[in-house]
Amino acid sequence: MWIQVKQALDQSTMKFLTGTARLLPGIVALIVALVISIFLAWILAFLVRRILAGFHFDEKLRVWGFSAIAEWSPMESPTHLISRTVACLVIVTGLLIGVSAIDAESTSLLVRNVFDYIPNVLGALLVMLVGAVVARYLARSVLIGAVNMNFQYSRLLSAGVKWLVIVLAVAMALEHLKIGPGIVELAFGILFGGIVLALALAVGLNSRELVSKSLERDTNKTQTETFEEPFRHL
Amino acid sequence: MEVDAVSQQTQEKVEQTLSADLIVGIVADIKEDATGGLFDSLRALPGSPRIAVLKNARPADSAAPKPPTGEKDPLLSVIPWPQQEVAAVGEPVRSISSAYQSAFAVSQKLGARACCVITSTLEAPAWDWICQLVRPLIEDDFDLVAAYYARRKFEGLLNSSIIYPVTRCLYGKRIHNPLGPDLGVSVKLFQRLLDSNGNSRAGASSMHLLSSIAPIALCGNFKVAQVHLPARSYAPIDWMNISSFVVQALGPIFLDMERYAACWQKTRGSLPIHEFEQPIPISQEEKAELDVGRMVESFRLANRDLREIWGVVLPPATQFELGKLSRLAPDQFCMPDELWARIIYDFALAHRLQTINRDHLLKSMTPLYLAWVASYARELETAGAANVEQRFERLSLAYEASKPYLISRWRWPDRFNP
Repeated sequence: MWIQVKQALDQSTMKFLTGTARLLPGIVALIVALVISIFLAWILAFLVRRILAGFHFDEKLRVWGFSAIAEWSPMESPTHLISRTVACLVIVTGLLIGVSAIDAESTSLLVRNVFDYIPNVLGALLVMLVGAVVARYLARSVLIGAVNMNFQYSRLLSAGVKWLVIVLAVAMALEHLKIGPGIVELAFGILFGGIVLALALAVGLNSRELVSKSLERDTNKTQTETFEEPFRHL
Repeated sequence: MEVDAVSQQTQEKVEQTLSADLIVGIVADIKEDATGGLFDSLRALPGSPRIAVLKNARPADSAAPKPPTGEKDPLLSVIPWPQQEVAAVGEPVRSISSAYQSAFAVSQKLGARACCVITSTLEAPAWDWICQLVRPLIEDDFDLVAAYYARRKFEGLLNSSIIYPVTRCLYGKRIHNPLGPDLGVSVKLFQRLLDSNGNSRAGASSMHLLSSIAPIALCGNFKVAQVHLPARSYAPIDWMNISSFVVQALGPIFLDMERYAACWQKTRGSLPIHEFEQPIPISQEEKAELDVGRMVESFRLANRDLREIWGVVLPPATQFELGKLSRLAPDQFCMPDELWARIIYDFALAHRLQTINRDHLLKSMTPLYLAWVASYARELETAGAANVEQRFERLSLAYEASKPYLISRWRWPDRFNP
């Protein structure tokens, strides 16, 4: 009885050690791939940073009207954002190569799936980037326009427009990433509708006086048609 | 560029008119029965030049207007000139610029020695305007003759508060209406303008032409004069569109600042230019009902809500001054000239650096402009015409005194931030 237990234990230990020995080259390969990719990532990031700095990329981006990107970047520098993105991509590629070296059969499917998913991630990132830039531009346009029209709730309107665009962009990005598409659609509908309703209520309830004054002013204007501002600007 | 700038109908008529010494472009509407007086006035010009009048023709007018005389006049021909109406509520600067571009193109085609464009509303006593603007071009070989309109207290405020003092301070010549809109230009100058405009980007060219006339003339050492004329008549202004006027008028001026930086950085102080005719006194103006409170309120609102934008344009000291200003009561509201001049320079610099979108930048300036108007109106509510001139002279001197500030910030925008 004791001999049989010992045999079983020996067999399982042997099995485990054999399995581990079979895995070991793969793990070493993963570590080597990771180390090489980190080293490559560091060199590439350095090169990209130098090239973009020489090109005055941050200033050029600001001149081209993408100043909003700087606010979303590490150290407020789009150059750093790009160099770090390149580094991350190289490290992730190295990691995937290393993982596929462990067990070619089971991991190749995972790697293929990950690579298939990359276009979705890139698409989602692009949607978010464009959404952020558009949100900021529209928010500023609304803010300045509303202030020039003497509107008391300019900031509220501007924030409302900004978040509407951002929510729309996030919903589109999540849809692109195929993360809970049904839930995202429903949540987006509720959130978007909620923001519009909140804005309508806020503006409607608070501007009753404004509307009545405006109507009153229009009435007075028609009564005194000859009234003209004394100032001429051009 | 000539073909694009001139319409088909005008092109055909230009082909028939072989040549002309003088081109007179009239953008404003003139009644058909009143053209006789205008043509007689033009025929009286010294040296009997051959004149081609570009007369504004509405699209509805199918037949080309003819000179009132029954037979064909060898010295005067009329060319129909379809133009968009120069409406104050639309895009006045852009439409006047395109009228100038078209008139210069026709002048070039006909080999004219001078070109004069009139956009102000013409009334019978004003026929002499055209001759007064043209005479220095023909008789005294001046290259640019600008109108110096008699100044009413509350008219042309954007020109008096920004355009004139900035032009005077930058280029060192006291040209009172650098944007016209009624100007006489010699062949030398309009050739230069067409050349430099052809080199610039096609989309922006029509926008920049009007604002480029004075800087090119002043930096190119062209002979410049101005003629005293009566006050202009203005179309009513839509208050909701002030920000678009600010964008249209100041955008090209700030762009020219960038273009001619090498020229204006060498200039110090300012000199008067040659003037023709005598200043025309303005009759006592009626006491107008001023609504300064609304403008002050607009400024206060902007000071609260536009801090994020002004914060990237204006240095902390200026923002602090604006904060203090916003706490003043309307009857004590007063914006110092030095502060106003520095604000304009800061916005010009931000426009150059494109700190934020240029359209946003200029539109965000509107409440500051209204604050200046409020301060000015409160100060001069009861003042006479002489005080108005003195007031604007003081303002111009403040601009000149602040020029070293502009030069420092322009040269070292990151290092010099008081």
